[in-house]
Amino acid sequence: MIAALLRSELRKTRSTKLWWGLLVPVALLTLLVNLFGGVFTLALGAGPDAEDRLPLLLASLAYSLALAATFSGVYGAISAAGEFRHRTITTTYLTAPGRGPVLVAKLLVAAGVGAVYALVTAVVGAFGGLVGQESTQFPETGALLGVVAIGAGVCALWGALGAALGTALGNQVTVLVLLLVYVLLGEPLLSLLLTANDSPAVAGISAYLPVNAGEVALYDVPARVLVGPADGAELLGLAAGVSGPPSWWGGLLVLAGWAAVTGALAGVVGGRRDIT
Amino acid sequence: MVANSGRIGTVTSPRGDDGSGRITVHGLTKRFGPVSAVEDLTFAVERGTVTGFLGPNGSGKTTTLRMLLGLVAPTAGEARINGLRFGELPHPARVVGAVLEAQGFHPARSARAHLAACAAAIRVPDAAVGHVLTAVGLDTAAGRPVGGFSLGMAQRLALATALLGDPQVLVLDEPANGLDPEGIAWLRAFVRGFAAQGRTVLVSSHALAEVEQTVDHVVVINRGRCVHQGPLARLRGRPRVLVACPDPARLAEALTKAGLGEIESRRDGRLAVTGADPARVGDVALAAGVAVHGLEAERVDLEQLYFGLTAGAR
Ligand SMILES: Nc1ncnc2c1ncn2[C@@H]1O[C@H](COP(=O)(O)OP(=O)(O)OP(=O)(O)O)[C@@H](O)[C@H]1O
Ligand SMILES: [Mg+2]
Repeated sequence: MIAALLRSELRKTRSTKLWWGLLVPVALLTLLVNLFGGVFTLALGAGPDAEDRLPLLLASLAYSLALAATFSGVYGAISAAGEFRHRTITTTYLTAPGRGPVLVAKLLVAAGVGAVYALVTAVVGAFGGLVGQESTQFPETGALLGVVAIGAGVCALWGALGAALGTALGNQVTVLVLLLVYVLLGEPLLSLLLTANDSPAVAGISAYLPVNAGEVALYDVPARVLVGPADGAELLGLAAGVSGPPSWWGGLLVLAGWAAVTGALAGVVGGRRDIT
Repeated sequence: MVANSGRIGTVTSPRGDDGSGRITVHGLTKRFGPVSAVEDLTFAVERGTVTGFLGPNGSGKTTTLRMLLGLVAPTAGEARINGLRFGELPHPARVVGAVLEAQGFHPARSARAHLAACAAAIRVPDAAVGHVLTAVGLDTAAGRPVGGFSLGMAQRLALATALLGDPQVLVLDEPANGLDPEGIAWLRAFVRGFAAQGRTVLVSSHALAEVEQTVDHVVVINRGRCVHQGPLARLRGRPRVLVACPDPARLAEALTKAGLGEIESRRDGRLAVTGADPARVGDVALAAGVAVHGLEAERVDLEQLYFGLTAGAR
């Protein structure tokens, strides 16, 4: 049942330009970020003063993957809400055994597109790093694959989260504005407010917001490799703009929780919506 | 026409789809806030028939059909197809196909790609896509983005989509919208043929004339309420023939003898013969040696009747 709907959603995805229209800026940004890996060093504030060469590519790659995650969310949101904009949702519901399976198929396909964004980012990023970061050391395979795999997870979760939000809101403009304003403005501000709080418990909440949770997952491995396990958490907190971050898998779990909550909301709201 | 034609009339599902091809609507009611769109509507549509669902603009036709198809949740009452609510049908698109108002397409997607995505969802072979495209006459435009389609072409594509699952029941909401005369004639023939195969058609329209030649039954609604339902013939009354004749008395006598006794003299001097057809009246006149100057099958003005039923539309 889900397999048939998955095939259908994949065919819908492949027959429009949205997925690669968003993939182009992802690839370009990734190339830029990794060619000039120094961007990330600047973002960290003072560069590490060790004289031995550091695998900075891990960090710039993680940063690119965070960007790809945002684009994954945008893809999910636009594609899911697009069904309402173009009124194709009527046909979609008429050809499916229930709205729940449709939602599941949509979330899975958006997650798949997110994972593809992450893999393209990894390939383009590694290429950019090889070409542009001569002064740095190419990272160990294990750490590199780890960052890529975590990135695929983060992008997949953001794809699903975006699609869930698009289904719940049912309006392309609304969902796009809401998503971008939150990711680019809302959550950074909220994090600033939270981390400025004296109580570590309140400040710690910052790590459990969706964007931050994804960044925690992404920057955990690079931070440890760059400054060692002992200071890794501190650097991670700096990089993700949170205090008291969990480890990468904790971040992934938190993000998965947000995706699940949004998915459930989409199930309830989308399941009841009158399609007139 | 497409795959699975042998399935019609058989019990298809262990979950209680009775394969009857029946549509039943019971006490169906929908309120949008203060607006009462459909009010306690009850009717049934039997297999092998075409039922016209008539009503003026805003009378609740689209809302009713969307409730039938599980797209709008009823405030009260229920609608069933093959004994099940739409949401309970395990393979909905193989049981019922629908062409609805404001049913859209992605403008950048080609007709073929749109149908291919639907074919995957309803699990029919991709060959069915080609079949339905041919059936609605869209072969040559199949590869073009739907955004460039005319209204009539989009309507044909909607119909192709509805037919993709080779459904037993067809629900059409003002399907003639945007179709050219040739398209309308084709649609009429198609709908009749579809019902003749023992399948069911429910077709809405705001104009009786549009579906008069196609439907067997009518359900007329006004302001969300049913104001008439039954066979079209009952709405129309019995057919009459109007005869102009220089000697009406003799003709009346001959007709009465021939068993056509329901005769009325009209003010214009013509005779109105109820329950006859023009050929029969002509034959009787010839046999009796009475001259006939004019012979006309009366068109009961259904439109007039319909206006009477739907008077006071919003
Ligand atoms: N989503 C909605 N929100 C509020 N009111 C609605 C909504 N959909 C329909 N209505 C109202 O319900 C009533 C019935 O509308 P409906 O579209 O079912 O009529 P219709 O018979 O299909 O009309 P038409 O011949 O113009 O297509 C109208 O008064 C309409 O304004
Ligand atoms: Mg309507």
